[in-house]
Amino acid sequence: MEIIANYGSVLLILAIVFGLFMAWGVGANDVANAMGTSVGSGAITIKQAIIIAVIFEFAGAVLAGGEVTATIRKGILDATLFTEAPHLLVYGMLASLLAAGFWLLIASSLGWPVSTTHSIVGAIVGFGAVGVGADAVAWGKVGKIAMSWIVSPILAGSIAFMLFRSLQNLIIDTSKPFENAKKYVPFYMFLVGFVISLVTIFKGLKHVGLSFDTQTSYLLAVGFGLLVAAIGTVTIRRIHLDPNENKDFHFTSMEKVFGVLMIITAAAMAFAHGSNDVANAIGPLAAIYSVIDSGGLIGSKSSLPVGILLVGGGGIVLGLITYGHKVIATVGTGITQLTPSRGFAATLAAAATVVIASGTGLPVSTTQVLVGAVLGVGLARGMAALDLRMINKIFLSWLITLPAGAMMSVLFFFAFKGAFGA
Amino acid sequence: MAKSIIDGLFGKSPISPLQKHMTSVHSCISELKGFMVAIHQQDWGKAEEIRSAIGRKEGEADILKKKLRLSLPSTFMMPFSRRDLLDLLLIQDSIANITKDVSGLMINRKMTLPNEIFDDVIELTDVCIKTSATALKAVNELDELLETAFGNRERKVVNSIIEDVNDLESKSDKIQHEIRTKLFPLEKDLPPVDVMFYYRAVEWLGELADAAQKVGSRLEVLLAK
Repeated sequence: MEIIANYGSVLLILAIVFGLFMAWGVGANDVANAMGTSVGSGAITIKQAIIIAVIFEFAGAVLAGGEVTATIRKGILDATLFTEAPHLLVYGMLASLLAAGFWLLIASSLGWPVSTTHSIVGAIVGFGAVGVGADAVAWGKVGKIAMSWIVSPILAGSIAFMLFRSLQNLIIDTSKPFENAKKYVPFYMFLVGFVISLVTIFKGLKHVGLSFDTQTSYLLAVGFGLLVAAIGTVTIRRIHLDPNENKDFHFTSMEKVFGVLMIITAAAMAFAHGSNDVANAIGPLAAIYSVIDSGGLIGSKSSLPVGILLVGGGGIVLGLITYGHKVIATVGTGITQLTPSRGFAATLAAAATVVIASGTGLPVSTTQVLVGAVLGVGLARGMAALDLRMINKIFLSWLITLPAGAMMSVLFFFAFKGAFGA
Repeated sequence: MAKSIIDGLFGKSPISPLQKHMTSVHSCISELKGFMVAIHQQDWGKAEEIRSAIGRKEGEADILKKKLRLSLPSTFMMPFSRRDLLDLLLIQDSIANITKDVSGLMINRKMTLPNEIFDDVIELTDVCIKTSATALKAVNELDELLETAFGNRERKVVNSIIEDVNDLESKSDKIQHEIRTKLFPLEKDLPPVDVMFYYRAVEWLGELADAAQKVGSRLEVLLAK
C-alpha cells in the first residue's frame, strides 16, 4: 500500500505512456492488415482507408472495446491473490505493456509478423505465472482465449465460404450479374449494419454507461441496418451499366457495385479491429488505473472509465496518422488479385467474427481471422492463388511470441520490483 | 519493412501468364499458313524468314513457360490442381514445338508438295490454326471462370467452346484422311523418300490439331475439380 501511495502518480504516468505507445503500435502496424483487403481490392483509395480507419477504429475502441479490455484487465489473472500486494499487479501490468511493446518492435524490425494480442496475453500470463505463482493465472480463461485463436479463423473462414457462395449463386454466376448485384447488395449492407450494431449494443455500450432492454436493442440494430442499407442503395443507384467496360471482362460494372459495399465493410472491419485490439493497449492500463485510483484496493467493482477507452482510441488514431498510412500503402497495393466481391466476403466474415469475439470478451488476432476468411473464399474457388506458407508462419509466430512476451515481462517485472521496492 | 501476413497470403495469379503463353503459342502457329504458301511457291527466302519467326515465337513461349513454372510454388492453394495447370501449360507449349518441327522439316528438305494435295494441305493448316484459335478463346475465358468461382453458368460457356475445338479437330482428321487417300495413287510416280516425308508432314499437321484439342480437354479437367 505504501508503494502505491508514494509512487502512485509516477506509476500511473508510466502506464499511460506505455499504454499510449502500445496503442500507437496497433494503429501504426495492425490497422494496415485490417484495411489491407479493402485497399487491395481497389474499392477504396488509401486516403479513404485512412479516414475510415481513423473514425471507425476510434468508434470501435470506445463503443465496443470494453468487454475485451475487461478480460485483459482482470480476466487472465486471479485478482484476489493480489489483495496483499496490489503493487505487484501494477508492476506486472507495466512490465507486460513494456514487454509486448518491445517484442513488437523487435519482431517488426526483423520482419516477423507477430500478433499484438499474442504478445500481451503471453506477457501477462508470463509475469503472473513466474513472478507471482502459477495459481495467479486463471488457466481456464487462458485456455478459452487460446481456443479462440484457433476457432476464430475457422469460424471466419466458414462464414466467408458461405457468404461468397451466396454471392456466387445470387449475383455473380447469373445471366445479369450487374442487375442482380444492385438488387441484392442492399440486403448485404443491412446485414453488415445489423450484426455490428447488435453486438455493440448488447456487449459494448454498457461500458460507456448506456443500456437498453432486449427488444429496444433489436429494434435499434434493425434500424441501424436499414439506415446503412438506405445510404448504400442511394449510392448504388448512381452506378450505371457501361457496356464498353464490360467488353473484355463481363463483370466490371458488377464489381463497381461491390466497391460501394466494400466501403461499408471496410468501416465495419475498422470498427471490429478497434473494438478488439485497443484492449491490448489499455487493458493493462485500466488494471493499473483501478488499483491506483482506489488506493490499492483490488477487485473493486469500479467500471472502466471512459477516459481510458479514449486514450486507447486516441493512441490508435495517432499511430495511424503518424506511421500507419505508410504501412497501409505497402500492404494494400501488394494485393492485386483481390476483387471487391471477394474482398467484401472475406472482410465482412472477418469483421463479424472479430466483433462477436469482442462481444464475448475474447482477445483474438484480427490479422489471423482475416487470413481464415480469405482462405474460406479460396476454398469456394474464389481466389487465383493463396500462399499457404503463411499458415506455417502464423503457427511459428505463436510458438515464438508467447514465450518471448512471457520471458520479457518476467524480466521487466523483477526490474520494477527492484526499482520501486517489493 | 516487415512483409505483412495479409500481403504474403496473396500469391501471383497464374491465369494471366497462362493466357499470355497460349497467345504466344497461337501467334506461332498462325505463321504456318504463310509458310506453306511460300514453300509451295518455292520462295525460299520468304520461307526461311517465316521459319525464323516461328523459331523466335516458339522461344518466347518457352521463356513464358519457364517463368510460370518457377512462379508456382507447391504451397499455392488454387481453384484448380497445380498438376492440371502445369499439364495444360505443357500441352499448350507442344503446339509451338510441333509448329517448329514441321516448318523445320519442310524447309530442310525443301519440300514442295504435289499440286494434287496442296489445296487440302492448306485447308488442313487453316483448320489447325482455327482449332488453336478456339482453344485460345477457351483459355481466355479463365478469368471469367475465376470471377464466377467456376460457377455452372460460366462453365457451360467454356464447355461449348471446347465442343467447338473438338469439332474442328474431327474436321482436321477428315482432311488428313482425304490427303492420304489422294496421296496413295501418286506414290508410284514420286520419289519414295519424298512420299515418306509427305506422310510425316501431314501426320504432324494432324498432331497440331490434336494438341489444340488436348488443350481443351485438359481445361475441362481443370474446371471439373
